[in-house]
Amino acid sequence: MAEYFPQPAQQQIYSLNLGPQHPSTHGVLRVLLTLDGEYVLEADPIIGYGHRGHEKMGENRTYLQFMPNASRMDYLSGLLYNHGFCLAVEKLAGIDPPERAKYIRVICAELNRISSHLLWFGTFLMDLGAFTPFLYCFDDRENILDILDRVSGSRLTYSYCRFGGVSRDVDEVFVEQTRAFIKRLRSRWPDYHNLVTKNVIFIHRVRDVGIIDKDLARRFGVTGPNLRAAGVAFDMRKVEPYEVYDRFDFEIPTGTKGDALDRYRVRLEEMEQSCRIIEQALDQMPAGPYRQERVRLKVKPPRGEVYFAFESARGQTAYYLVSDGSPYPYRVHVRVPSFGNLHCLTDVLKETLVADAIAILGSIDIVVPEIDR
Amino acid sequence: MENQRTEPVIQFALLEDLLNLARANSLWPMTFGLACCAIEMMAAGASRFDLDRFGAGVFRPSPRQSDVMIVAGTISKKMAPAIQMLWDQMPNPKWCIAMGNCAISGGPFEYDGQYAIVPGADLIVPVDIYVPGCPPRPEGLIQGILALEDKITKGEKRNVLRRFARLERVG
Amino acid sequence: MAAKDEALQRIRELLGEGALTADPDFRTGVSWTITCPRESLVAVMRIFEECGFYLESLTGLDFQDTLEFVYHMNTYEPRARMAVRVLCPHDGEIPSVSGVFSSALWQEREAWEFFGVRFSGHPDLRHLLLPEDADFHPLRKDFGTVHAYRKREEVYG
Repeated sequence: MAEYFPQPAQQQIYSLNLGPQHPSTHGVLRVLLTLDGEYVLEADPIIGYGHRGHEKMGENRTYLQFMPNASRMDYLSGLLYNHGFCLAVEKLAGIDPPERAKYIRVICAELNRISSHLLWFGTFLMDLGAFTPFLYCFDDRENILDILDRVSGSRLTYSYCRFGGVSRDVDEVFVEQTRAFIKRLRSRWPDYHNLVTKNVIFIHRVRDVGIIDKDLARRFGVTGPNLRAAGVAFDMRKVEPYEVYDRFDFEIPTGTKGDALDRYRVRLEEMEQSCRIIEQALDQMPAGPYRQERVRLKVKPPRGEVYFAFESARGQTAYYLVSDGSPYPYRVHVRVPSFGNLHCLTDVLKETLVADAIAILGSIDIVVPEIDR
Repeated sequence: MENQRTEPVIQFALLEDLLNLARANSLWPMTFGLACCAIEMMAAGASRFDLDRFGAGVFRPSPRQSDVMIVAGTISKKMAPAIQMLWDQMPNPKWCIAMGNCAISGGPFEYDGQYAIVPGADLIVPVDIYVPGCPPRPEGLIQGILALEDKITKGEKRNVLRRFARLERVG
Repeated sequence: MAAKDEALQRIRELLGEGALTADPDFRTGVSWTITCPRESLVAVMRIFEECGFYLESLTGLDFQDTLEFVYHMNTYEPRARMAVRVLCPHDGEIPSVSGVFSSALWQEREAWEFFGVRFSGHPDLRHLLLPEDADFHPLRKDFGTVHAYRKREEVYG
């Protein structure tokens, strides 16, 4: 590509605002592009259009009152955030949920991860100009939402996990529906691969585009599937196993180059691994209570702090809670993965075409209100 | 906010009714998501719920081509001027749906001392239909769009092209 | 040698044994906490960079008597996370680590606008999440509604 890149003497530089209202910026992201013709010289993502002050809200409400905020931060994987927040508070307050609750949480969290990746699959391909996969994956995604809707009562912003368990028990129908969904999703893989993965136009749009290598990923703190696409097998579920993830047999899919095609492959493979986790969890799920009875609604952890990291659909997320011994947290900080994933675009977008910039933006899977908090 | 509504000087009553019938049954919403509700808006347009059944499935990326702005999500103070600008760019006649509690009143994020959000879309643009929920289900949004259609044709009975009855009349 | 041990050994040489606190049970989610004076922050970060760590999160805590900034460092190994804690007065300055980790460019902008502490040496300190004309620092405890505003020893005592 370098030989096509215009020499400084021929350059006619202008600026272009991509967003905040633009169909391919996934919400309210604005990227200030400095262009020479079709080539991007500099890209400066301007964020904050979805800033809602979650961290300030944490300082004036109790732990339970803050819980709904958790799933509204990253609404695509709301249950994972909700799950992580519960685990962080449980670790701080020393609450141990019963075994059954742990399995229910893992199953629901992995279902949520699949639904998040499915939505990414649809919107990413829509950015590349393909509309049909969007309809396919929403069809599958609605099945997950039905399952989660039935047990949690919400389609998107779940507050299903509670301190010391989950809000409601699951029944036989849930198990049946989940097994049926996994069977259905597996029967869809050939369709997806025939439609997209083997599509020549798709391959030309994403191969060798937007390479995030190991070194770049480390400098910008990139995590999640974007890091794994660069070949680093780093997943919180394996590295710092929380809940019952150490009892399951699953792999961490990795790529080699770290281009958009690798990121696509890693996410697709991750969905299959999530299916494996769900199957094992369904097999192993014990009977028993689904929540600990003796947990006060107004949780009062002892003085101290906890930094709890977990793997959300977009990467390594962490809650940093500081408690002063009262029922109100002294400080709530959230480490969000998309923050670093987006920041690295200032480097990655340099010397690419505008059309590739859209493909790269879609391939890293950002959720803007998560970055802005 | 009412002064932003501009009525034409000359009115052709019967022709206007006819045009309204056409407008109501081919609403073009703007692709404009702010937060969580945008996902439910997408779901309403996708496979299962299929807004195309009501003529409202053609999401336009540009405000100049759209009739209805669905404010789906929390409006931050940084975003508010952009929403105002988008509304001004839309050609008349135009309508606005405030989707979700954040766009109605600030929702769960409004409290004493909140510094980051605008509590309600009606502080920026005139809103025709409010769809409550956090986020509203796609059925809720569809209900809101049907209510807007009836508002445009000035009554459900006059919307003779409607093939689906609204939920409240069925029950 | 694992990256974690190498970094620990070099920091021990730089700051002395007293600056390090271990958490062998991983109860707070970090394996070691390093209390670092402001002037040696960049040197410590450079050690982390050379040992293969990345800057995971940067955040601040507002106490009545001081501000505290916490840098969480991590590398791609199990349970390797370390926290670097820096104290800073409310009107003080902190040396910027953006020359060491690029991710600090945004994280320091965020910390600056939320806490109002300048990061000296940062090339581009403008607003990140707040509107461009914002003149307040929302995560200071004297802004807006908070439940408690305490001294540092009341929390960590």
